[in-house]
Amino acid sequence: MTDERDTRGVIFNVQHYSIHDGPGIRTTVFLKGCPLHCLWCQNPESQAVRPELFFNAERCQGCAKCVDVCPEHAIEIVDGKSRTNRAVCKTSGECAQVCPNDARNVMGKYVTAGQVFKQVSADAIFYQRSGGGMTISGGEPLTQPQFAISLLKLCRDAAIHTTIDTCGYATWDSARRVLENVDLVLYDFKHMDPSAHKKLTGVSNELILDNAKKIVRELSLPMFARVPIAPGLNDSLTNLRATAQFIATELGDSVKVHLLPYHRLGEAKYERLEKPSQSISIDPPNDERVFELQKIFESFGLTTIAGG
Amino acid sequence: MNQVIQSTHTNFAHPIPLPSAQEIIGASKTRIQKLRARLFVDKYPVCVEKIRLLTEAYKQTEGEPMILRRAQALANVLAKITIFIEDDELIVGNAASQPMAVEFDCDYGIWSQDEIDALKQDGFTTSQEDEIELKTINEYWKGKTLVGRMGQFYDDERLWSFMQSGVVLPPWKTRAEGSGGGYAQGGLGLGPGFFLCGFDFARVLNGGLNQIIAEAENELKQIRFTNADAVKKVDYLKAVILAQGAIIHFAHRFANLARELAACESDPARKQELAQIAEICDRVPAYPARDFRDAMQSFWFMFLMLTPSTTAAAGRFDQYMFPFYKNDLDAGRINDAQVLELLQCLRIKDMQINRTSGKANRQKNAGLAKWHNWTIGGVTPEGNDATNELSYLILEAAQCCPTPHHTITVRVHDGTPEKLMQKSLEVVRTGIGMPAFVSDKSYIEFLLTQGVPLRTARDYIMTGCLDVNIVGQSRIATYGMFIAPLALDIFMRNGIDPNTGLQVGLQTGALENFSGFDELLTAFKKQLAYLMSVAAERNNIELRVMTELFPDPVRSSLMVDGITAGKDMLHRKMPLENGGVLNPIGMINVADSLTTLKWLVFDEKKISMRELQTALRANWQGDEYEKIRQQCLAAPKYGNDDDYADALAHDLYQFWADITGTLDTALGGKHIPTAISITSHAPGGALTSATPDGRFAGECLADGTTSPMRGRDKNGPTAAIKSASKIDQTPYQATLMNMKFHPTALKTNEDLRKLSALIRTYFGLGGKHLQFNVVTKETLIAAQKQPENYRDLVVRMAGYSAYFVQLGKTVQDEIIARTEHHQV
Repeated sequence: MTDERDTRGVIFNVQHYSIHDGPGIRTTVFLKGCPLHCLWCQNPESQAVRPELFFNAERCQGCAKCVDVCPEHAIEIVDGKSRTNRAVCKTSGECAQVCPNDARNVMGKYVTAGQVFKQVSADAIFYQRSGGGMTISGGEPLTQPQFAISLLKLCRDAAIHTTIDTCGYATWDSARRVLENVDLVLYDFKHMDPSAHKKLTGVSNELILDNAKKIVRELSLPMFARVPIAPGLNDSLTNLRATAQFIATELGDSVKVHLLPYHRLGEAKYERLEKPSQSISIDPPNDERVFELQKIFESFGLTTIAGG
Repeated sequence: MNQVIQSTHTNFAHPIPLPSAQEIIGASKTRIQKLRARLFVDKYPVCVEKIRLLTEAYKQTEGEPMILRRAQALANVLAKITIFIEDDELIVGNAASQPMAVEFDCDYGIWSQDEIDALKQDGFTTSQEDEIELKTINEYWKGKTLVGRMGQFYDDERLWSFMQSGVVLPPWKTRAEGSGGGYAQGGLGLGPGFFLCGFDFARVLNGGLNQIIAEAENELKQIRFTNADAVKKVDYLKAVILAQGAIIHFAHRFANLARELAACESDPARKQELAQIAEICDRVPAYPARDFRDAMQSFWFMFLMLTPSTTAAAGRFDQYMFPFYKNDLDAGRINDAQVLELLQCLRIKDMQINRTSGKANRQKNAGLAKWHNWTIGGVTPEGNDATNELSYLILEAAQCCPTPHHTITVRVHDGTPEKLMQKSLEVVRTGIGMPAFVSDKSYIEFLLTQGVPLRTARDYIMTGCLDVNIVGQSRIATYGMFIAPLALDIFMRNGIDPNTGLQVGLQTGALENFSGFDELLTAFKKQLAYLMSVAAERNNIELRVMTELFPDPVRSSLMVDGITAGKDMLHRKMPLENGGVLNPIGMINVADSLTTLKWLVFDEKKISMRELQTALRANWQGDEYEKIRQQCLAAPKYGNDDDYADALAHDLYQFWADITGTLDTALGGKHIPTAISITSHAPGGALTSATPDGRFAGECLADGTTSPMRGRDKNGPTAAIKSASKIDQTPYQATLMNMKFHPTALKTNEDLRKLSALIRTYFGLGGKHLQFNVVTKETLIAAQKQPENYRDLVVRMAGYSAYFVQLGKTVQDEIIARTEHHQV
């Protein structure tokens, strides 16, 4: 029998005292890798599975310490700031080690499920008191199914409540094997129209919607629907009515809805990944607009929280 | 005078029909706004009126017993000091001879001209004539103040070098003037009020001062001169009668003033209010309070008599005020809107008691620091939940009138209603940093270890920041802030103080000669124990001088058996004797520094002790040394739920508690360990060289006492809490844990429930205290400039939370703007 503790995966963060990723006080584990590329992505550092260099130009003082240590000689100083040739960079992380200004970081590291579980179970006493537990988020947790399963099983054996935050894009068979180990699903609904969904995220939504139905009907799992509100991209009244309609009729009104207004968190991150061309600029929706959209969902009998 | 105690509820102060809640809320808002607006002054006046009256009385009573001199000095002040009633006030009794003023104090130390000049630069104002008069008054007080008298015991170089070092803050400059400067405070009682005590307010509210006077008169008649104490008892009882009578007279001055003002008042509503004030002041505090309104006024007069004191505490205000509230409410004499208005008026009255001190002490207690603590919640003596409607109204008053004072502490036990936690956290959310939360479990356990019976222990109150007291039965001396990292600094220099170059400590050996960490740790503990013993000597000198100079018949008669004991409270043994404490500041920096040494020099052998010492002496300046600093920062640190680092923090606090328990106090009994920091981590840091935990010379020490050093905890609040709970806090009279949150992490009721669970978990693990700093725009801007110090700052984004310093500048700017939007 294989030991779940030894399963390897790539994560980019473990956040303690997460209070907005499910019930109670939680620890959220962020897995790297995502099959979607949403235009409004808040965590672009999570898209690729392998670790990546994160460069914060605001902090770089151009001291050139990184230039000296790079095994690939991929760094030079241009206009007083270090610049990395990403075609050559193999993410050795040497530069991040020596950077005195915290301008260079490697996002993502290889870990075992056992190592992560140790961090998660350290807070078990807080879960007990608050009704919390672990949330696996990402990225997209379903891109590392084996790692997710091991981590979830370790939690379950320790009676720690498990939640997954997923976009639902995976084959049902693969998704099911992961979800069988989960107590609560946070499920993203980005757009109801298949072609619009493809345009916004890079993939169509048939599989996603189909999986949502199966999660509720076959696995009978409780679900919170998470609906990002990206002005001009997916916030038309038609689309949000269709979303509400789908949730209410296909999934049932026991599904709670969290509206997540777009914010600019991801924009700076694109710069740090030195992929500014992929960055978009949208104005976050104002409170009145979000309130108006909340009313739509409520009119379908759905308990709706704005801001998650 | 002794048979006039009337039965209550026969003659009510306000037979007027009650206005509706809506009417009251509207009028009350305007009143509170107007009163609050007057708290914001450009300059705080410093007056000489009180010190003039005190000095006048002291001069007239030369040679008489000190307790009687003090009673007469108080009587002189209360009979003659300027009094006034401000527009819109419902509770009356001014704290100084001018609004928002402080009065020069004669008890602590002398105000030299350079200290007065410094005061003027810091937002205080005096008149030319007053300054000249103060100079003359100073002549009389030389050698008679606390500092002047203490200085007479520091002839010995061993003690004098210690006092100059500032290991106990602040460093002394001269034996005559100490660290320089005296105190200047509001409050019309006898000073300096350094003792932390719980006074029996309920006794005054329920019995009236006439009852105390009657008891004293009766006790006088019983005296037979068969032992040495009898003579002293007579002096004491006479002092009590004189002082309490003077307070009654003082209240009557306000009654007369209110009547005079009412006579000239054209606004009929205000005329009515003034007439009512007059009627109330005629009655209380001489007689028992008839209703809530009386009780509030009676409380305030007594509070004014127990100040000046930065640490005067109201005790369990929601408990002893509750019967007055409940009776009035049941009888339809008052409604919650009126109670809320009075509670806000009380907050404003407390804001009028200001204080300042000499430069060095101002740093130690930054701002107009004071700790007027109101305790609410907790268990009853029987062990049931004590929360009542007033507990909520006290919190509500802080929410409606968000002034920094008075402060509130919520006692939390397993049965504390979640509703009280929610209400408390709603107040925390406003960003005023209160209420603080303390654990009944930990405090009651501490008291039981001190031999206090369970029922009594359950009735504990908070005085000062977080110091535990039992009403009428215990006291805590003021004590120095012991700068633990400075002791480490001295240890690392083989006993030499870095600032004065004097041999302050023992010669425990050169640092590079220790062959192993255990040997080094043992030597450090030897040094620490020695310095602690000198600090205890210093405390004892202070205790004896206070006993000699500051007997106080008012506070003494409000202690248990205050009349029959026949002695000043400092001359008797108390049921719970916690007279002297030792209080380490920056212990976490010491723990982190020693952990760093252990890891880097002895375990991993990455650098030699000599290299580290050279880097420290260079204050990390230079590339090579900066590299060593980075290695030091990378070593395990307290606050991350890492046993390697947390073990040493536990060990050091345990050692401190053990040694403290062996040191005698001048009041009888042993010293007690406590761990609170106020703002000493700033001046304490200023005295301390670079430390192996990666801290620069002069940099602030860790705040609180179980809080991690800022920027060193990287795993969020749960890890910090777990680290803190590895320190055994039971032997400590108090510990202090600060946490920072962004308001968006306390946005919804659900968020508050989670924070409440965090608090309860910590207390379940043995934590004593937790308070939250819900950060404002200013902090966020600072965090933007110095992200390394704000790593643990959690901000709510949307759908999830993030660490503020990890965000890009644009987003940070947006959140800063957002916060501003949230500010009311």
